[in-house]
Amino acid sequence: MTDAEDHPYVEWIAREARRPVATDPAARARVMEFVRREPAPRFSVWHRLVQPRALSLSPLASVALAAGLVGIGIFTGLFVLRRDGQTLAEQPLAVAPTVSGLPASDTVVTFIFAGKASQVSLVGDFNGWDAKATPMTKVVPQGTYWSVTLPLSAGRHVYAFVVDSQWVADQHAPLAPDDGFGRPNSVRLVGRGSSL
Amino acid sequence: MSDDAADVQRVLAGDVDAYAALVDRYYDRCARFAVRMLGNRDDAEDALQATFLRAYRALNRYQERDRFSAWLYRILVNQCRSIAARRAHRERVFVREEAVLLNAPDRRQHWSGEDEELVQRVLNELDPLLREAFLLKYIEEMSYEEMSALTGVGVSALKMRVKRACDRLRDRWERIKDD
Repeated sequence: MTDAEDHPYVEWIAREARRPVATDPAARARVMEFVRREPAPRFSVWHRLVQPRALSLSPLASVALAAGLVGIGIFTGLFVLRRDGQTLAEQPLAVAPTVSGLPASDTVVTFIFAGKASQVSLVGDFNGWDAKATPMTKVVPQGTYWSVTLPLSAGRHVYAFVVDSQWVADQHAPLAPDDGFGRPNSVRLVGRGSSL
Repeated sequence: MSDDAADVQRVLAGDVDAYAALVDRYYDRCARFAVRMLGNRDDAEDALQATFLRAYRALNRYQERDRFSAWLYRILVNQCRSIAARRAHRERVFVREEAVLLNAPDRRQHWSGEDEELVQRVLNELDPLLREAFLLKYIEEMSYEEMSALTGVGVSALKMRVKRACDRLRDRWERIKDD
């Protein structure tokens, strides 16, 4: 204890309170009874997507895959190389963002946080609540607006901003019900037919 | 991978019984905090049940780089806050002389009824936020950084709460020591 707290009575209270409490075995057993009635939790979609996995192919499928990859390489080379030998990558290029690779059910959504901060990221059910998975970038270098754009599947998504390690709800979106973690979350509906 | 993380992986892979290992590992420790915080076993059992159920439902949100115990405690602390806010404080009258207890020999492993009620009454007299900070610091023996991550309250504010809790206890001693 520090000097301010160094007192026999305070130490006695702390020592007594540190004693284990006798718990009711039936109450502990009831916890598992209730747990077994719950739907089983599963890895999130995000976790399943980013997890490495083994892929086994038959010899014939392997040959077909290899031939396909070689074909893609040749096809790409024909389009990218110009007659003078320069590649398109060396030329000034202005291309609008494309979403052509998305599954039809996904929608591109932009999240914006307004406020002074040195680091902002987006967390939600779509990235496993991983504060490092979806960093946000300043809209202009000296500005106070942060944004990130990402594809989301249709439905209801719960999310929050992590602003300099502090969990912050989106003030411009509906709040999600308390989930028991004591942290404010917001709700974003994506696609038609979603509801809060 | 820690035992906790391995058990979480097993649960998420479909082995519900692996959750029993996590419950067994943390139930007593959580029970101690809940009883001290809420002041009675009925409320504490409600808090524990809600905590372990919520943790189970949210297990796929647990990040392995976090300590499972800290993650679980965050849920527990919030459950205790919710229950404390919902239920009226129940005062009891105790007659045990504290000065006698303070000087008594200390040979027990568990609380006996009178001592438990006495110390619980003293803890109950603390403002809930001061009690929570005192319990996390001196009963759960967490660092201020751990407490801050768990409660979302800054380190300096937590230090102030712990100091005020200790000051309240010392003031109490000054009032009762000559009785």
